[in-house]
Amino acid sequence: MNNRDTFLPRRTARQPAAPPPPRLPPSLAGNPSLPYPAIGTEMAELRLQIPGVQGSVLGGVDGLRITHDVPVQLDPDDLAAMAAATFGLGRQVSLRLGQGDFRQSTVRNHGGYFAVYAVGPQALLSVVGTDAINVARLHLHAPPVAERLATLLEQV
Amino acid sequence: MANLDSALKDAMTIDGAIGVALVDYTSGMTLGVAGGTPEIDLTVAAAGNTDVVRAKMRTIEMLKLNDDIEDMLITLGGQYHIIRPLTGSNGKGLFLYLMLSKSRSNLALARHQLRAIEEQLEL
Repeated sequence: MNNRDTFLPRRTARQPAAPPPPRLPPSLAGNPSLPYPAIGTEMAELRLQIPGVQGSVLGGVDGLRITHDVPVQLDPDDLAAMAAATFGLGRQVSLRLGQGDFRQSTVRNHGGYFAVYAVGPQALLSVVGTDAINVARLHLHAPPVAERLATLLEQV
Repeated sequence: MANLDSALKDAMTIDGAIGVALVDYTSGMTLGVAGGTPEIDLTVAAAGNTDVVRAKMRTIEMLKLNDDIEDMLITLGGQYHIIRPLTGSNGKGLFLYLMLSKSRSNLALARHQLRAIEEQLEL
């Protein structure tokens, strides 16, 4: 028996089924005309309404932070970058499966949660939660917040 | 012994049952639901009542009562809500949530039936 038969066949590159995603407009990060107070209120409300939410970061899909509401021990720039990385994986999965736009992704670790929600096509809301968080409640609460944030970002 | 689907179906045969859910109170997520109405989203009820269960358990712990919740009754104007944490070894961290219409149900019988369903439930 040929030794090669015992191995799984090598995957060959496939032509992408869907066209590559369109080029995005310029980054939202650092845009001075965004309604920062209104965005900040939405993010603070999320933290106050759901026990266990440690903080949240609003970032662009490019991984750059727009604004944040996290305590000092968390680095908002890191979180924004990791949210974009999570989004990247989610988008690839969705492209391959043909399931439409990325909506949400949750990472659960031993000590807590990291959840990323799509905020329109251009931004991401990432939420850090303790292990004791009521994650079902977060999933009920955060999407409307993300929707309102998307509307705020669109007004610019 | 009954599996989850038949246990939920049995719970819906209780007189006056509006909806029932099996909920994981570590996350607030539902493992299964039955019944409900277009106006009542049982997943919302599950997430909200998770906080109720957690608060009661924390209180019992703080009072050092060294006891467990057998069931909880919440009486509304038109409904009874019964919460019953699972006691079996594989039911740890779960509770049954039953909504009853106050006018169409017999509370004592409903509690008794829910206990039987919970004892029979195997996950």
